[in-house]
Amino acid sequence: MPQIKIYQEDHIPSPASRIWSAFTDNPFAFAGLWAVVSLLLLALFGPFIAPYSPEHQDPHALLLAPSWDPAGTVEHFLGTDDLGRDIFSRLLHGAHLTFGMALGIVITALFLGFIIGSISGMMKGLKSSILSHLLDALLSIPSLLMAILVVAITGPGLSNVFWAVGIALTPQFVRAIHQAVHEELQKEYVTAARLDGANPLQIFWYVILPNISDTMIIQTTLGISAAILDIAALGFLNLGAQAPSPEWGAMVSQGMDNLLTAPWTVTIPGVAILCSVLAINLVGDGLRSALSPIRN
Amino acid sequence: MIRYLIRRLNLFLATSLILFIVMFIAVSKFPVDRIAALTGVQQPTAQQITRITQDYRLNDGQISQFIAYLQQRLDGDLGLSSTSQNLILDELTAVLPASFELGFFAGLIAVLFGIPLGVLASLSTNKITQHSIMAITLTGYSIPVFWLGLTLSLWFGVQLGWLPISGQINLLYEIDSVTGFLLIDTLLSDSKYALSAFLDALQHIILPAVTLAVLPFTVVVRITRSAMMTIMEETYIKAAEARGLHTSTIVMRHALPNAFIPVLKNLGLMLGAFASYAMVVEVIFSWPGVGAWLVSGIYQRDYTVIQGGILSVALLIIFLSILIEIMHTALNPISRKELYAAN
Amino acid sequence: MPLLDIRNLTIELDTPHGRVKALERVSLTLNPGEIHGLVGESGSGRTLLAKAILGIPGHNWTVQADRMMWDGQNLMEMSARQRRALMGCEMAMIFQDPMSSLDPAISVGAQLIEAMPENKTISWWKRAADKRINAQQWLHKVGIKNTQKVMSSYAWELSDGECQKVMIAIAVANKPRLLIADEPTNSMELRTQAQIFRLLSKLNQLQNVSILLISHELETLSQWCDRLSVMYSGQIMESGPTADVIAQPYHPYTKALLDNIPDYSNAEHHKTMMHTLPGSAPALQHLPIGCRLGPRCPQAQKHCVNQPSLCHQKDRYFACHFPYHNEPCHDEPLTKS
Repeated sequence: MPQIKIYQEDHIPSPASRIWSAFTDNPFAFAGLWAVVSLLLLALFGPFIAPYSPEHQDPHALLLAPSWDPAGTVEHFLGTDDLGRDIFSRLLHGAHLTFGMALGIVITALFLGFIIGSISGMMKGLKSSILSHLLDALLSIPSLLMAILVVAITGPGLSNVFWAVGIALTPQFVRAIHQAVHEELQKEYVTAARLDGANPLQIFWYVILPNISDTMIIQTTLGISAAILDIAALGFLNLGAQAPSPEWGAMVSQGMDNLLTAPWTVTIPGVAILCSVLAINLVGDGLRSALSPIRN
Repeated sequence: MIRYLIRRLNLFLATSLILFIVMFIAVSKFPVDRIAALTGVQQPTAQQITRITQDYRLNDGQISQFIAYLQQRLDGDLGLSSTSQNLILDELTAVLPASFELGFFAGLIAVLFGIPLGVLASLSTNKITQHSIMAITLTGYSIPVFWLGLTLSLWFGVQLGWLPISGQINLLYEIDSVTGFLLIDTLLSDSKYALSAFLDALQHIILPAVTLAVLPFTVVVRITRSAMMTIMEETYIKAAEARGLHTSTIVMRHALPNAFIPVLKNLGLMLGAFASYAMVVEVIFSWPGVGAWLVSGIYQRDYTVIQGGILSVALLIIFLSILIEIMHTALNPISRKELYAAN
Repeated sequence: MPLLDIRNLTIELDTPHGRVKALERVSLTLNPGEIHGLVGESGSGRTLLAKAILGIPGHNWTVQADRMMWDGQNLMEMSARQRRALMGCEMAMIFQDPMSSLDPAISVGAQLIEAMPENKTISWWKRAADKRINAQQWLHKVGIKNTQKVMSSYAWELSDGECQKVMIAIAVANKPRLLIADEPTNSMELRTQAQIFRLLSKLNQLQNVSILLISHELETLSQWCDRLSVMYSGQIMESGPTADVIAQPYHPYTKALLDNIPDYSNAEHHKTMMHTLPGSAPALQHLPIGCRLGPRCPQAQKHCVNQPSLCHQKDRYFACHFPYHNEPCHDEPLTKS
């Protein structure tokens, strides 16, 4: 017997569950989330799944086309490059470098940006503007220039990419968090909390932090996609990951020599970058629209 | 208003000073001889060493050294390129216009196509139109620019053979540099091939400019769309409708001026990313601009080129972003409201 | 012939909780040259009604009506373009919040000039100047002295009262026949309120503009209006000439509203409770069965679970089974259930 509802009672969902239901209502965002989760798994376990090692050269299979091409074989699913290395395995190994490093950079930048941004945001007057404008100068150096500067000092290499992109990203986080904190401080409920006798730490922790978390989430998704693109661009320009490395941008640049004869050596890593950035942007977009009714 | 302008100028000077400090520290960390890092002179004679030591006060303390460094740089002395032994300033003035040309074209494409498409996306009630425009912009936003450039040149340059894929102009044309901007120079030139040279230069700029325009284009579309969506729900739009104005009048006169404000603001914020993208595009299409020059400088470990390039580009970005902010305030009466309220 | 005659207007809204009837079977008659007051609590659907009359529906509305006659033409059958044309010159509306009804990016003067009618009799190059003079005259008429200064300012530089005057000038510049004023004095001080109401009443007398005045203050409305309609929860409860309604309300809700008006004649004892209805207005997704006032009504009886229909008696309309004048409506048989 179906249950009869006698009383019209509204179930009022909590903010988190409302965001979740708004997020899952958007099929694209949900698909993006699945893609990001699988990328994350690939970044962690990719090397274990990969059929070959990234440097394994098969002299009998140079520039082999992908398996859907008549000339391709299933052994090398996405084909091979000019040294006979399996592109599929290299992609799996590269996920760790490109995607994993982007995550690492963003987490570090978020951490630093959160600390500096909230301190400078909570302070007033000259101190605050010195702290925030100090990083404006760094913000005005494009990430690629920053990378060139770092490479000029330390020489090219994957670890330098970490510093270069990190230094370029941190000011963005600082600025976003500084502005969010600063805007929140103007709100009436902060004044009300202050009149209640809350000290700055309490105001920050209980009043401001819950209201800037959405800014932080959105900035993080933006940061990850920017970091992936930057790491790949540096790899492409040979300023980051060096030649044999399976970093995706470097793979594109290694494939450049055979662009005309074997376009898949360029296309496949490019598509991999595109898909992972697209997935993150889909998630970010979905989050933004799910959060927006709460933000306004 | 004057107070506001002075504050912006102050911000510009302070930010530039910090930039110079960062560069000064970076120069001292370059893995070469300090004299070579500062001036680019490779095997200096004893005479040169004493002069450089004197100019840069290399025997004094760090602060005194920094002041000397600042003086030299502000005098326009950026040193010599260690590979070509030309003055950095001359090389810069040779490559900057090409970058400006490319950036200007890309920005123009982005704004001219982006704003109408954004308005269209916001006004369309058709779900398919909306979704497809959003899908295109999201893809454009996620696409790695180097890969896009390669793919475009592969398709349009190699396979279809429609457009040239490298350089600024066919090398057969000899164009005297007057303004440095090639498109203007070809028109000014009195050679009888001036028009065909102009068309050739135009063909050369299409692919790089389109590649570079993808990022600002998608940003403009998205910002315009979201701004228009919020504005069309505002009371003053409803009030304008209640006055019986035509929808196109409302969009043109009331919604667009309001929607343009956040677009301008975001264009300012995007400058850094835009410059990064421009460098990659220049490298791919062998465009003789600052980006390609800088990247070749780093390949050759030409530290004075790196310094000069970074300084000029960063200063330019600081200047442009402050300029955009001032424009934003000047064009936008609402931001003056804050100034008005503050006084 | 009435200027505006609405019968059984129903507006349904699509909300995340499903479709709700925000306005149900609302009937309203407005004669030329009268000020008609529409009183009700916030959320009772007054603004919805105003926007539906004007023709600027929201994106999630479904509007249905038996008829909406505007001067002999049926508004329901008109195209959007015709409605828009009608909005410009025959109907006008002023909004609750005058400051946000003016475009912040354009000066007030430019918006005023934009709203001025084109004078087709003079040559086109003189029209711009003519519009400008016209705009200044209208500003002067609504009681703004320093017209030059106001015209060159932006909306946020003016006070609420000034903005509302500008809005009125914009609204009446085309000489509309109906002006819908949706809480024109919301959040304004008393002196400004009085100015605005006096202005509206003067417009009504001099230009013969009909005004639909929306407010939640019965007291203010009773001073300025010829006729009064009382809304509750998306339905018209009672309607009639102001003096009659005030003197003898038929509907318990009207009576409750009248009792709400503070009485300063010292007839009440010290610290007496103010008369209010128990409970609060129902949410639109949880409407009671039958009469929407039912659960709160002091006169409610068993029969009230049937929805009362609006009935007409000598210039008065009311929707109640047990009205205060003890003459139940004869339009509907009491033993319907």
